[in-house]
Amino acid sequence: MTNVNAALADIDNSLDQIIARLFSFLRIPSISADPAYAGECEKAAQWICAELASIGCEASVRPTPGRPMVVGHYTPPDATAKTPHVLFYGHYDVQPADPLELWDSPPFEPVRRKNKKGVDQLVGRGTADDKGQLMTFVEAARALIKADGKLPIRATFLIEGEEESGSPSLVPFLQANKKELACDAAFVCDSNMWDVKTPAITTRLRGLAHEEVTVTGPSIDLHSGMFGGPAMNPIRALSKMVAALHDKKGKVTIPGFYTGVSELPAAVKKQWRSLRFSEKKFLGDVGLKSAAGEKGYSVLEQIWARPTAEVNGMWGGYTGAGTKTVIPSQAHAKFTFRLVGKQDPKKVIKAFQAFAKKQMTGDAKISFSGKGGGSPASTIDEKNPYIRASAAALKAEFKRETVMMGGGGSIPIVRYFKDILGMDSVLVGFGLDDDAIHSPNEKYNVSSFHHGMRSWVRIMAELGK
Amino acid sequence: MTAAATEQVLATIDREFDASMARLVEFLRFASVGTDPAHHADCRATAQWLKTMFDGLGLATTVHATSGQPVVVARYEPPAAAVAGRPHVPHILFYGHYDVQPADPLNLWTSPPFEPRVAKGKDGRDCIFARGAADDKGQVMTFAEASRVWLAKRGSLPFRLTFLIEGDEEGDAAHLDRFIAANKDLLKADVALVCDTGMWDAKTPSIVTSLRGYIGEDVTITGPRIDLHSGYYGGPVVNPIKVLSRILASLHDKTGKVTVPGFYDGVKTPSLAQRKSWKRLGFDERGFLGGVGLKTAAGEKDFSVLEQVWVRPTAEVNGFWGGYTGAGGKTVLPAEAHAKLTFRLVPGQNPAKLIKAFRAFVRAQLPDGCKARFTSHGGGAAASIPHDSHWITKASRALKDEWGREPVLAGEGGSIPVVESFARHLRMDSVLMGFVNEDDALHSPDENYKVESYHKGARAWARFIGEIIRELES
Repeated sequence: MTNVNAALADIDNSLDQIIARLFSFLRIPSISADPAYAGECEKAAQWICAELASIGCEASVRPTPGRPMVVGHYTPPDATAKTPHVLFYGHYDVQPADPLELWDSPPFEPVRRKNKKGVDQLVGRGTADDKGQLMTFVEAARALIKADGKLPIRATFLIEGEEESGSPSLVPFLQANKKELACDAAFVCDSNMWDVKTPAITTRLRGLAHEEVTVTGPSIDLHSGMFGGPAMNPIRALSKMVAALHDKKGKVTIPGFYTGVSELPAAVKKQWRSLRFSEKKFLGDVGLKSAAGEKGYSVLEQIWARPTAEVNGMWGGYTGAGTKTVIPSQAHAKFTFRLVGKQDPKKVIKAFQAFAKKQMTGDAKISFSGKGGGSPASTIDEKNPYIRASAAALKAEFKRETVMMGGGGSIPIVRYFKDILGMDSVLVGFGLDDDAIHSPNEKYNVSSFHHGMRSWVRIMAELGK
Repeated sequence: MTAAATEQVLATIDREFDASMARLVEFLRFASVGTDPAHHADCRATAQWLKTMFDGLGLATTVHATSGQPVVVARYEPPAAAVAGRPHVPHILFYGHYDVQPADPLNLWTSPPFEPRVAKGKDGRDCIFARGAADDKGQVMTFAEASRVWLAKRGSLPFRLTFLIEGDEEGDAAHLDRFIAANKDLLKADVALVCDTGMWDAKTPSIVTSLRGYIGEDVTITGPRIDLHSGYYGGPVVNPIKVLSRILASLHDKTGKVTVPGFYDGVKTPSLAQRKSWKRLGFDERGFLGGVGLKTAAGEKDFSVLEQVWVRPTAEVNGFWGGYTGAGGKTVLPAEAHAKLTFRLVPGQNPAKLIKAFRAFVRAQLPDGCKARFTSHGGGAAASIPHDSHWITKASRALKDEWGREPVLAGEGGSIPVVESFARHLRMDSVLMGFVNEDDALHSPDENYKVESYHKGARAWARFIGEIIRELES
């Protein structure tokens, strides 16, 4: 029998040291989207590799054409053919931190502080997404090994560094290392709890497709006095295209966009309704009152089961202080599409490009510079034995039934694990809706971090039974 | 009597043209680059040279320190006898600038920029090559020389005349604007003559009678309190970029008309005769658009390109930003989106009313959860002189008599700050006529002014002065 209680007590007693360790990880600005931070990503990879080695893993930093992967293998001394082998996945890269001026404390100088309501929090870029989360399973393994001398399972740790920028190296890496990485199941720690008291396992994830466009009009920036009127303005052309992307009911107007999208089964709809999700609070927390998505769908359905077309950034012309009477030569925008069901990312991007080209009139020319890729949505069977074991362990830690929920974000890894390595994924995470991931003042509740580590101790023990 | 007087003045201008050229050459030797501190002493010396020159004409000249380069004001007050019995003594203000653009790149000049040289230009006509020859020293001297000969011939003029020659035209217009605001009594006149524009073509003179005004407005649309993850929030959350895009997309209808309610209030459609005369100009729309990589005019469908630029108002987006604009992707739903707009205004449009109308137009389109914030960058109304104004009539007659062709009454799409300052502070109309040719290389190496422009320019102004005298004395 695994000595769960000793491991839990060890976590409780060493919480301060554990947080200090996490902080040294958080201080590395490992932004994968910005090439200027490639060196920092390398540093973060080395850091997590050393941590895995310190608990007894055979760990290595593995170069890729992009940011490196970190792989660690742990085999208990008494392992047999029957010992379950699971993979733990997390990512050490983080989102860009701008706009910097909106942070209360520097994004890469993490702090522990109580918020206005007295909630104990860790604040900094990556606290919740995903450094804090991935350290919950690393620290749980450390505590169990300390208490017991070993883990009750074989574990493989896969920590990637390109999750926030579309994971371009992931597929080739999984393909090249199939044998090494294939396990009985994967645990992915990059998702949320249902609420601060209720654990959750995410069983549905939306997919993602990216595109970036440039609309070109005049060959050079023009004086708006001399040319204003007859000269076409690419910002206006791009605005028109963006405005045409949705109809009045919030539906995406790209022809073929909804191919592969099926309506939610009545049973699932009913289960979600029973969650008594407060739409008012969800929107109110971010300063909004009414849902702006597809009419006829609840907010949960809009996030968990409906696809979207979003503009993530748009720019063109003069953006400095004062006025500059210019008609710009170019305007740019970045788009993402959240996908559900059987929507194919490649087909969605093709359909979008055709739609966008059709919107250009006169002298407006459009070009596309997205890197392609993307991932389809994924759904996992809730009867999966690893999901059931995890749900039981979570219930033991939180004293509440585990919610099987959807996730609006995309975790492409889930799809790749299934397609390339043939294993299912269990998504257990301890983030909260107000963690402000991708935003200024990203935070992770100390209770999330603490219960998260304790939960993994219980899950690992449950798997070893 | 006056017609004969004018003929005598013209003959004198012809006869003394060499001396007149010599004076221009002296003026051109000053490297009066107003924007370069290394040349500020040259600017002061130029202002002193102008004072000496104007004093020599019998004018009372003062050099004024400003927040920028010195301003020269030269005043002619007619003797009591010359205006006896007149209830109103007309006051004419002539505007020009003595500052010039920087001369670099120096290696592209055929001869040093501040060593004037007369040589054949590209079209075989004699030109005077020097920085400032066309912009604007040569043009300033056309009027000064016309005045010189009239004063010499007649002994006096029956009207008040003020020269305002500044040194910050190529730099910050705010310096002169402040000077005008602080010296209203000194500068207020019946009309301003602004000699800083060009001919329609080598043989056809032109008067600019309307300048579009503008207003500048920044808009910020705010939605969610903070930037959000597009996975966790994408769908139910309003996106300010989309909202602002919709608003900007709705700013024009399919025919290119601005849809802001009340936008066209007060805008007059040019008369049929006027439109016909513009059509006859044979403006090369294809060349104009092709030069900047375009094929199709994107403005109001019912108007020609010239009309779209000269006499039709516009709404333009000059800049737009929101969300993540760096390298790579960021799956963010932005909390804010921003745009910078300018509106070009034509006569009849009221800037204050339009700002209000635009803001109401934006607010009316805001969905629940979005707010709009505005920053105004001010602006000014359009300026125009009616084509039947007696100043235009006199100027037209003078130009026609000199060139043997009816001048083109043109519009100008951009704003000329000094004209706005005159209108705003002094409620004074401007007549814009000048003699620059298309190939005069303003702001470029080998800037030049046609000797003919200088000569005929002075003669045209002499005729214009003759017209004023004739009217006063008839």
